[in-house]
Amino acid sequence: MIFTPQGGLKKNRMDWVLFFAVLVLLAIGTAAVFSSVTALPQQARIIRVQFMAIPIGLAVFAAAWSLNYQIYQDQWKFVYGFLLLFLAGVLLFGVVDKGARSWYRLPIFSVQPSEFARVGLILVLANFLDKRIGKIRELKTVLGAFALCLPVFFLLIKQPDFSAILINFPIVLLMLFAAGASLFHLSIILGYAFISALFPILWTIIVLNPELMDSSLISYFFHLSDSPWSALFFVAGMSVVAWLFWQLSVRLYANVSGVYFAGAALVLILGFFSGVVVKSQMKEYQQKRLEVFLSPESDPRGAGYNLLQARIAIGSGGIFGRGVFSGTQSRLGFVPERHTDFILAVVGEEMGFWGMLLVALMYAVLMRRVMQCARLARDRFGYLVNCGIFGMFLVYFGINFGMILGFSPVAGVPLPLLSYGGSNLVATLMALGIVESIYARRYALV
Amino acid sequence: MIDRQIPQDRLDLVWTLSYGLLLLFLLRLINLQVLNTAHYREIAEKNRTQIIAQSAPRGRIFSSDETAIATSKPSFSLIYFPGQLKAGVETDRMAMAISRQLGADYESIKGSISRAALREKPVRLAENLPPKAMLKLSELKAIYPGIDIIVEARRYYPFGAYLSHLVGYIGKMDTKEWASRSMDKNYSMDSRTGKAGLEKMYERELKGKDGGIFLEVDSRGRLNRVLESRKWAPGSDIFLTIDSKAQAAAEEGLEKSLTGKGAVVALDPRTGAVLAFVSMPDYDPNQFVLSGSEKDKISSGKTLPEFNVALQGSYPPGSIFKIITGAAILESGRLKPEETFFCPGYYDAGSRVFKCWEKKGHNKVDFITGLTKSCDVYFYNAGQRAGALTIEKYSRAFRLGQPSGIALPEEKGGNVFGPGPRAAKKSYWFIGDTLNLSIGQGETLMTPMQAVGMIAAVANGGLFHRPYYVDRIVRNDGQVTLKSKPEILSRAELKETTWTLIRDGLHNVVFEGTGQMAKITGAEMFGKTGTAQNPQGKDHAWFVAYATVNGQPSRVAVAVLVEHGLHGASAAAPIAKAVIEAVLREDLAVKKPELPFVGPPAEAPAVKPGARV
Repeated sequence: MIFTPQGGLKKNRMDWVLFFAVLVLLAIGTAAVFSSVTALPQQARIIRVQFMAIPIGLAVFAAAWSLNYQIYQDQWKFVYGFLLLFLAGVLLFGVVDKGARSWYRLPIFSVQPSEFARVGLILVLANFLDKRIGKIRELKTVLGAFALCLPVFFLLIKQPDFSAILINFPIVLLMLFAAGASLFHLSIILGYAFISALFPILWTIIVLNPELMDSSLISYFFHLSDSPWSALFFVAGMSVVAWLFWQLSVRLYANVSGVYFAGAALVLILGFFSGVVVKSQMKEYQQKRLEVFLSPESDPRGAGYNLLQARIAIGSGGIFGRGVFSGTQSRLGFVPERHTDFILAVVGEEMGFWGMLLVALMYAVLMRRVMQCARLARDRFGYLVNCGIFGMFLVYFGINFGMILGFSPVAGVPLPLLSYGGSNLVATLMALGIVESIYARRYALV
Repeated sequence: MIDRQIPQDRLDLVWTLSYGLLLLFLLRLINLQVLNTAHYREIAEKNRTQIIAQSAPRGRIFSSDETAIATSKPSFSLIYFPGQLKAGVETDRMAMAISRQLGADYESIKGSISRAALREKPVRLAENLPPKAMLKLSELKAIYPGIDIIVEARRYYPFGAYLSHLVGYIGKMDTKEWASRSMDKNYSMDSRTGKAGLEKMYERELKGKDGGIFLEVDSRGRLNRVLESRKWAPGSDIFLTIDSKAQAAAEEGLEKSLTGKGAVVALDPRTGAVLAFVSMPDYDPNQFVLSGSEKDKISSGKTLPEFNVALQGSYPPGSIFKIITGAAILESGRLKPEETFFCPGYYDAGSRVFKCWEKKGHNKVDFITGLTKSCDVYFYNAGQRAGALTIEKYSRAFRLGQPSGIALPEEKGGNVFGPGPRAAKKSYWFIGDTLNLSIGQGETLMTPMQAVGMIAAVANGGLFHRPYYVDRIVRNDGQVTLKSKPEILSRAELKETTWTLIRDGLHNVVFEGTGQMAKITGAEMFGKTGTAQNPQGKDHAWFVAYATVNGQPSRVAVAVLVEHGLHGASAAAPIAKAVIEAVLREDLAVKKPELPFVGPPAEAPAVKPGARV
C-alpha cells in the first residue's frame, strides 16, 4: 500500500543505490570468475552454474522484495522448522564434497542448505529478540537466543561446516548487541569465546617457538591440558585468585559485586575447557592454517603457499591491474580456490588497486544502505533483521579482505556477490530482497 | 523507526567500527599494490617463467693475418619439457626411441626424463648432436610433443692444440667459481667459462650476452606457451699479434725436434708484439668444451700439460748468456775488444781446470772470434777481467730475475747469479763461480720469454718492451674497444760501439760460427747458440736470433728452447730459422736454395760444474 502525503512526496519502493551496488559487484564478480576458470577443467560447468544462479538469484530477490517480510515473523515456527529439516535432511540425503556432507544434489545443480540456513536463522532470531525486547537485559534472554541457535550449530557441526558457524556466531552477537542486550552479558560471551580461542593460539605459538619451553612457567602452561589433575589445579587456582581479588576489593571498600569476580573466574575456566576441546577437535589442516597465519613464511610450499601466492597476485596487480583475463598468478593456477574463496586475489591482480577500491567501496555502500534501511524499518522485527543482514555482510567482508591482506587466518569463506557459488549467491540475493521488502514497507515520512 | 526500547546509537558504533576496518584494509592495499608492486610483480614473473639459456657464441680469436684460432660453431641440443607428456609408459617409449637414435644409454635417458618430470624443469637430454641425428630426431619431435631441438653456439678450436698455451681453454665452472658468478645474470649453472690463457684473462670480453627461450609455465610446471625467444649477442673478437705462419712453423719445428718438448717465442723487437708462442707439451682445447665427463677422464688418466714452458720453465742459459757477458766485458772498459787470449782447450784456474767445449782449442781468440766460436776460454779470461759484479749488473740490465710482464699468469723471472745474491745468502763467492757465470752456467736461470727479450734488446738497441699478444679487441658492432700500444719497461744503456761489436759477433755466429744452420739468404741473421748443461739429464738446446732485411730495423727476434735437445746448433737453430723465414716471407719472396751444411754441428758439452779434470 502506497501512502502519498499531501506534499506529493511519493514513497520510493526500491532502494536503487543498494541495487546499483549489487549489480556492480555482480558484474565484477562474474568477470573475475570467468577469467579465473578459463584454465580449469570444470570451466564449462562453472560458467553454466554462474549464468543460472544470477537470474535465479534475481528472481528470488524480486520475490522476497514483493513479499511482505512480516510474514516471516508470523510464521516463524515454520521458518525455524523448515530450516532445521533442511539442515537435518542434508545429513541424510546430501552428498559429500571436500570432506563435508553439505550438498543436496539436484538434477541440474546442487544446493547448499547452510547458506539458506543463515538467512533463516537471522529471521528466527529477530523474531525472538523482538518478542523479548522488554526482558532484553536479562541473562535469560541472551541464553535463550543461544539456545535457539544451538540446534542449528549442532547440525552444522555434524556436516561439518565450521566456516558457517564462524560466520553465524558474530551475526548472533551483533543482533544481540543491536537489540540492546546487557554489555556485561555480551562481554562474558565475548570473553568466553576469546579465551577459548586464545588458549589454542597460545599453544600454537609455543609449538612454533620451541625455545619458549625453556621457561618453566610456559612449559607448565603448555602441558596444562595433559592430565586431569593439572586441569583441576588450574580450576582451583583460578577460583582462589578470583576470591582473593574479591577480598581485596572488599578491603578497599571498592563496592564491587562479587558476581563480577565469580563471572570472570567462570569465564576463564569455561574458556579454558572449551579451548582444550577446540584444540583436540581441530583438524590438521585447521591447525596448519593457524600456524601459517601466525608465521606465514614457516611453510611457503605447503599451507602458507595459498596465502603467499594470493598476496603475490594482489601485489603484482599494481594500481591499474594486469587486465582482465591477463593475470598470470591466477590464470596459471598459482592462486588456489581462485574462483571461490580467493576471488579477491583475481580482482586485485587483474583490476589492480582501482578494482579492489571499487569492490571495497561498493561493499561499504551496500552495508551503509542496509544500515539505513534498518533505521527506516516499520517495526522492530524489520530493524533486527536488517541488523543481522548487515552483520552478515560485515563478517564476510572482514574475513575475506582480512584473510587476503594477512589480518586473519585462512578460512574457507567466499565473498558474497563476487565469488562463484550458486547457493551463496541466491541466499545473499534473497537476504537483500528481504532488505528491499523492509525498505519498501518503511514509514512513509522518514 | 522510532522505538525507545532500542538504543540506536549502538548501530552508529558498529558503523564506526566498520569504517575503521575499511580504512585499515585500504592502507594495507596501498602498501601492497601501490608501493610494492615491483617487488610482487618480479616474484609473479619468476613464478611463471622458465628459461632455457642458449649460450652466446664467445668472441672469436684471430691471428694478426686473420686466421681464426678459436671460433664457434652451431651445436644442437635435445631438450625435454616435462608436463606435456606425463612420466610413464609414453616417456619410456620416447626414451627408447631417443636412445636408439643417439646410440645412447637407455637407462640414463630414462633417468633424466623422470628426474625432469619430478622437478618440473626442462632438461638437456643430449648436447652437441651430429647433423646426421638431427633429421631422425626431428621426426621424433613430431611424435612426442615433449621434446625439442635448440641450437646453441659451441666453442671450437679449428687447429686443435695450435697456440693452446696462449689461448687456453674453456670448461664447466666448479662450485667455487659458480659461487662467485651466481649473482651475474649472464651466467647459469652450466655456462662454460675460460679456464686458462686468453680465454680466462679476457673472459669478460669474450663472453657474449646469452640468449634464451622464455617459457610460460603454470603452477605445476607445465609448459603453457613460449613467451619470448631472445637472441644472443656474441662476445668481442680478439685479434692477436700472432703471425699464423710463424706460429705454424714454430709448432711444426718443435714437434719434429729431438724430444718434441720445449718452447719457441718470437717477438717484434720494435714493439714487443708476440709473433709466435709455443710451449710443448701442449693440449687440444676442444676436448674440454664437450662435456665435463671427458675432462674427468683426462685429468684422472694423466696430468694436464698446463705447464707453460715459455713462461714458467727456468733453464740455465748456457752460451746464449755470452751476449750479456760480452756486453759486460765491453762496457767494463777493462779490456779492449781486440785483446786476444790463447785457448788451449782448457783454462787452469789453479785449483781446478775448466774445459773449453772445443778440446782442440781455438788458438788466439779476440772478442768477435770468442763470440763467433763461442770460445769458453776467452770468456773465462775476459769475464774475470770484467769482474763478476759487472756481469751481474748487466744481467740485471737485461732484466734477468724479473718477469717479462706479459699478461699471462704465473710467469717466472729466472734467477740472477752473482756475488750480490750470494752475499745475501751469507755465503762465499769463488773464482770458479765467476768462470761459470761467464759462460751462463752455475745458478743463472732464464725462461725462453726472457731469452727472446734479451735478443730483441740487442736488435733494437737495448729496449725492453712489455710483450703483448692482443693487438685489438673488436666488439660485435665493429667498434674497437681495446688497441694495444707498445710499452717500454726499461732500457739497457750500452755504448753504441758495444752494440755494434755484439751484433758483429752474432752475425758471424750465423755466417761462419756455431749457428750456420740458421743461415737465411736474403736476410742478415744474428744469432747465438747455447747448450745448457743439465745435471738431471741430457743438455738443453738454446738458440736466440734476430734478422734484418736491407738494413731496416729488425722485425723479428726469436728464442728457441728444445728440452734435452743436446745441441743448440742442430736442434734449436733450424726452428728459429723457419720461424724467421715465415715472418719475413714477403721480404724473402725470391727464395734461394739453402746452403749445404758445413762445419762442426755444435758446441760440445763444456764443463760439468765442480768436475775436476
